[in-house]
Amino acid sequence: MKNRLFEKYFVFSPYFWLVLFFFIPLAIIFKISISISEWGMPPYQDIFLFDDGFKINTTFENYVYIFSDYYYIGSFVNSLILALISTFFCLLIGFPLAFYIATSNIRLRNILLVLVVIPFWSSFLLRVYAWKIILQNNGILNVTLLNLGITSEPLQLLYNQYAVIMGIVYTYLPLMILPLYGYLNKFDLNLIEASKDLGLNRIKTFFKVILPLSVPGIVAGSLLVFIPVVGEFIIPEMLGGSDRLYYGKILWEEFFVNRNWPGASALAFSGIIILVLPIVIFQILYSRWSQKNEI
Amino acid sequence: MDNNFLVIENISKSFGDNKVLENINLNISKSEFFGLLGSSGSGKTTLLRILGGFEKPDTGRVILDGTDITNLEPFERPLNYMFQSYALFPHLNVFNNLAFGIKENFTQKEIEINVRNIAELLSIEHLLNRRIKQLSGGEQQRVALGRCLIKKPKLLLLDEPLAALDKKLRSKTQLELTTLQKKLKITFVFVTHDQEEAMSLSDRMAIMKNGLILECSSPEEIYENPKSLYTANFIGIANIIEIYKKDENFYSDDLCINFKLNKELKNTKTNILLRPEKIKIQSKNNLKTSSFNSFSGEILEKSYLGSFTRYEIKIKNMIISVLDQNFNSNSNYNFPKGEKVICSWESESIKVLED
Repeated sequence: MKNRLFEKYFVFSPYFWLVLFFFIPLAIIFKISISISEWGMPPYQDIFLFDDGFKINTTFENYVYIFSDYYYIGSFVNSLILALISTFFCLLIGFPLAFYIATSNIRLRNILLVLVVIPFWSSFLLRVYAWKIILQNNGILNVTLLNLGITSEPLQLLYNQYAVIMGIVYTYLPLMILPLYGYLNKFDLNLIEASKDLGLNRIKTFFKVILPLSVPGIVAGSLLVFIPVVGEFIIPEMLGGSDRLYYGKILWEEFFVNRNWPGASALAFSGIIILVLPIVIFQILYSRWSQKNEI
Repeated sequence: MDNNFLVIENISKSFGDNKVLENINLNISKSEFFGLLGSSGSGKTTLLRILGGFEKPDTGRVILDGTDITNLEPFERPLNYMFQSYALFPHLNVFNNLAFGIKENFTQKEIEINVRNIAELLSIEHLLNRRIKQLSGGEQQRVALGRCLIKKPKLLLLDEPLAALDKKLRSKTQLELTTLQKKLKITFVFVTHDQEEAMSLSDRMAIMKNGLILECSSPEEIYENPKSLYTANFIGIANIIEIYKKDENFYSDDLCINFKLNKELKNTKTNILLRPEKIKIQSKNNLKTSSFNSFSGEILEKSYLGSFTRYEIKIKNMIISVLDQNFNSNSNYNFPKGEKVICSWESESIKVLED
C-alpha cells in the first residue's frame, strides 16, 4: 500500500522541486518586498505584528517607488535591449555554426561539438577577465593594431556597452548553438535539395524551407540566452562602463550597497513578473501554433 | 525519334579513393521511360544525382535537349527530381507543396488553376488542405510526383519511385506511372534495385554494376539475350551451365549431357543460360530420353506459386530450376517430390553468355 502511494505521487516530484526551489523563494522575496525597511538585521520589519493584537504591517511603497523613478525602469529597459541585441547576435553567429556542425560528417561533428563545449570547462569569471586583458588600452589587440600601424593611439575598446555585448555574445553562444544543433541535427537535407530542384536559389531556400523548419530550435536557443542575459550582472560589471546602467547591477547595489532589501526585492519581483509573464504567454501561443502546424 | 534528347557523355565520379562511376555513356530519347537498375553501390543513384545537379561529375558532360547542363545549379535546370523519401515540406499543406515550385513566376489565380489541374490528374483534389503527416504513403508519392510535374519539366528523375509503397499498392502505382508517362510524354529516368519494377516500367533499361553500365537495352532483350553472366543472374531466375566443345557437339560435365546449339562458339569453353520457363517437363513414362537437349532428373523441391509451379530438379551434381505453367485445374497435373522426370528444351532457348 505504501509503495502504491509512492508510485502515485512520484510523478509529482518535479512539481515538488519547482515548489521548493522556485515558488517558496519567490514567495519569500515577495514577502520582503512588501515589508517596511528599517536599520537592523534583517533590515526590514516583520509583516505580521503580535505586540498589541494582531496587525498586518505591509506596504506597497517599494513598488510605487520603483515604478515612479526612471532610474529603475530605465535600467530594466536597458537590460531588455541588451538581451535582445545579444540574442540576435548569438543567433546570427550561432545558426550558421549549428547548421554547419549538424551537416558535417560524424567525425568532424564530434570535434566541433567538443570545441563548442570546451569553454565551459574553465571558469566563466576567468574567461571574461581574459577579454579585459585583450581589450584594455595596453592589451594584446591595441598593441597589435599600434604595431601594425593601423591606429596611431590605443582605441577605447573596454568599459562601454559594445564590450558588454561582445562579452555576453561570447559567453552565451554555446547556449544558442547546442539547442539549435539538437534541432538541426534531425533536419532532412533532402528538403533543401528538393527546394533547389523546384527552382529556389540558396537564399530563397533558406527563408522558405530552412528557417521555417528551424523555428523550434531558434525559440529554444533564444530563450536560453535571452532570460539569463536580462539579469546578467558580472559581464556588465567587468566589461561595461558608466554609459549604461543595467538591471542586474542596480539590483546588486540596492541589496548590498544600499541595504534596501525591501526595495531590492520589489525590483527583483517586478523583474520576474515582467519577464516571465510575456514568456509564459508566448509559450502558450507558440505551442498552439506549432501544434497547428505540426512542426 | 530523337535519340539525343539526353546525352550522358564520359561521366566519371569518385568520392575520395572510391570510384563510383567510370566513364558512363548513355543516350536517352525524348519521351522515353528509362530505368537504371543495379544493386546498392552500383552508382545508379549517384548518376541520377549528377543529372539532378546535386553532385558534380569529375569528368564528362550532361546535355539535355541540346544544352550543356553539366555546370548548372539544380535550380537552373529544366528538370525535376523525385526523392525516394519524397522530401515533402512538413510545414506546408498539400496545396502549398504542389505550388512550391511555381509560386515565384505565377499569379495567385494561375497557381490556383495549375494546382487544381495537377491534383485532378493525380486524383488528389480532396487532399489539398491536408498536412503531409496526415497522408498515406501512396498519397505522399502522388503529391511528390505532382510537385514535380506542375513545373512541366523536360526530364523527370525518379529515385526508387515505388520503394516506399507496400506490394499491392506498388503494382497499381506501376501501371499508373506508365500510363501517366505515356500521356504526358515527359522523359522519365528512374533508379531502382528491383528488377521487376525495372522490367515493368522501362522502355529501355541499363544494368549497372560497380560504376559501369554492363548492358543497355529493352527489358525483353535483356531478359532473353543477356550478354553477361551478371545480367543473366541479376534479372529473373537463371540456370547457368558451363559447356565445352566435344567432338561435334557441346558437353556439360555437371549434367553429363550433350547440347545442340544452332550457333558456333568463339571459345571452346563457355557459359550458357537456360531460363526456367523454357524447359518442358514431362513424366518419364511418356518419353524416352533423347540424347540431345534433354535430361532426366529427380524433383527435389516444389513450390506452388498459383499460375506457376517452380521445381528444383536434381541431375548429377546440379540443380536446375524449372517453371511450369499450371494449364490444368487438375492438381494431379503437378509432379510430386521425388518423381523422376524428363526435361527438354528447344535449341533456340539456349543463350550463350559472352562473359
